[in-house]
Amino acid sequence: MASETNTGEIKRGPIERWVAKAIKNPDRAYRSMFYTVTIFFLFTTLFPFYWLLVLALTPENRLYQANLLPAGFTPETFIRVFEVIPFHRYMFNSIFLALMTTAIVLLLASLAGYVFGRLDFPGKSIMMLLILAISYFPPAAFFLPLWRLFNGQIVPGIELYNTPGAMILPFSALFMPLSIFVLTTFYGQIPDGLEDAARVEGTTRLGALFRVIMPLSAPGVATAGVLTFIAVYNEFFFSFLMNNGQPGNWAPIVGGLLQLQRAGQFEATFSVMAAGSIIAVLPVAILVVIAQEKIVSGMTAGALKE
Amino acid sequence: MARVKLDGVTKRYGDVMAVNDMNLDIEHGEFITLVGPSGCGKSTTMETVSGLTRPTEGKVYIGDREVTNLPPKDRGIAMVFQNIALFPHLDVYDNISFGLRLRDYEKEEIDRRVEKAASIVQLEGMLDRMPDEMSGGQRQRVAIARALVREPDVFLMDEPLANLDAKLRVTMRTELQRLHKELDTTILYVTHNQEEAMTMSDRIAVIDSGELQQIAPPLTCYNEPANLFVAGFIGSPAMNFIEGEVVQNGLETENFMIEFDPGKIDGVGVGDHLTMGIRPEDVHPVEKAGNLAHGSDTIEAWADVLEPMGDEIFVYLLLGEDVDTSMEAEGATSNELLMSVDPDSPIKEDDEIEVVIDRTQVHLFDTESGEAVTHGVASLATESTTPGSEAETDD
Repeated sequence: MASETNTGEIKRGPIERWVAKAIKNPDRAYRSMFYTVTIFFLFTTLFPFYWLLVLALTPENRLYQANLLPAGFTPETFIRVFEVIPFHRYMFNSIFLALMTTAIVLLLASLAGYVFGRLDFPGKSIMMLLILAISYFPPAAFFLPLWRLFNGQIVPGIELYNTPGAMILPFSALFMPLSIFVLTTFYGQIPDGLEDAARVEGTTRLGALFRVIMPLSAPGVATAGVLTFIAVYNEFFFSFLMNNGQPGNWAPIVGGLLQLQRAGQFEATFSVMAAGSIIAVLPVAILVVIAQEKIVSGMTAGALKE
Repeated sequence: MARVKLDGVTKRYGDVMAVNDMNLDIEHGEFITLVGPSGCGKSTTMETVSGLTRPTEGKVYIGDREVTNLPPKDRGIAMVFQNIALFPHLDVYDNISFGLRLRDYEKEEIDRRVEKAASIVQLEGMLDRMPDEMSGGQRQRVAIARALVREPDVFLMDEPLANLDAKLRVTMRTELQRLHKELDTTILYVTHNQEEAMTMSDRIAVIDSGELQQIAPPLTCYNEPANLFVAGFIGSPAMNFIEGEVVQNGLETENFMIEFDPGKIDGVGVGDHLTMGIRPEDVHPVEKAGNLAHGSDTIEAWADVLEPMGDEIFVYLLLGEDVDTSMEAEGATSNELLMSVDPDSPIKEDDEIEVVIDRTQVHLFDTESGEAVTHGVASLATESTTPGSEAETDD
């Protein structure tokens, strides 16, 4: 037996040796599986961005020669994005819409979160279920009625199409439920005594919400705010359909990228589009990097509660 | 002038009656303590005064105003909470000045008042600390300062010392009394700790099952409890209760007899069931009973358990001749008696001793209703004992 094992070990190749070690020490196997999966996900998520970068850096006329490396180096494409169309205006529109929606959602979801989290009343769980149900509605179901409403076909005189309202209203409605749930959990955890103290000290219930409960739930409010901002910034459906794509009509980045497609006179200008896409991703990427820790802690804090 | 008046205040939570027809009339500058066991409705009563809870029925007055439907902020009250309830995201200065800033006071006025309050509770130099950097006692003082700066008509204190350790509690108790003297405001204080209630208050309101049992100065509650509940709740260790039946010349219990003339008490006749209450310090070993003007007959007893407390010894006595200790249930049965004696007493466990009850301190209660019948039976004596003693006879 002993001699067999000895001779067998000599015969083994590197893979067999690795397998033998992994059997003895399963942690090695788990670790390598972790790296395999992580690398796979990183590749599938990051490669498109890399590909965008390759396209953006390759001069327009040599696009078909671009492989895994850019065929040439033209960083000025990133500046052309702002020259061929007012891309900054599209970005401003996107950020403006996202900020406005976030503000509205945080305000209203705070009120709802206060009520659901801190008060008892009949029908509470049914109402929360209804709110949850709304968040699962397909946005397309709202589109036709809303489009007619915003074009003054239902109530004459109300024409929101091509205004921020036409997007902020449906955004707020669609992204509100998530924030309500996050804030309900957080506001429900603030001790009653603190609210009582604030009320005795001279606030109303609302005052206690904004002066004490909300500041103490800062991680939750930040989570809800960042998630809403990102969701609105990334939204396509209403962003695309509730305006005619002109920067002056509050078209967000979606409109900008589609304009870039037509930036060249006769051909699709892939380089500029790729550059525009990368620029468009930047604000959210930065936001996520900054707020990542808060979002994770906010989500898990909420998760642990219920 | 900040009188506080509760007029028939009732609070129901669904079917649960938290407070039932509470009538309180508190004078300006009084220190009133609401005391009672957990869940008796004392905190709910206070919440109706603070406005955090709206009474189901009845009216609340502060000063000359009816405030039943006013929110807490418009009632001119300040409150110290059991869980202290400092705002964790604000430093001490911001915590104390929270109410003033809400009311748009001038910056200088706020500074002046915060400094004054901080010096009263001895928190100078800590104004920029955060609550989580302070000890329990310091936080409690911040909470008190937060109430002080508002210069309210009425202070509400809901078990403010409950979460402090024993030593700090005693210190803070003295500080609160000193504050009350300095401020001359009405203080409504809630506690389940009868020691706090006894030492601090002008009057005690004893509450049980949502109903006011007695409101009187501490010593009156102690010496002339209105009913069995007050008698058992006020005083530590609790009063002894022994049931008995009225006979021709007094009250006959299972093991002894307390002599008095039942005819001298209104509404009591032979055959009635009364409960006798006697405090441990009014039971004496027979050797010490020589200086008692109105001692009872000697009672045979057996020292079951001794609890030396340092300044006194509690002796758990079993009465009667054929006591079976193993069968004895806990609580106030008719053949158990608690006696407190001097620490130099020679009594040992399992001693057979004779004790005497001070008849001036005997309380009689109606067994059925629990209402007090009389306090002190010495002056109700039959012809053999001296009439005209100092014992109180009011009911």
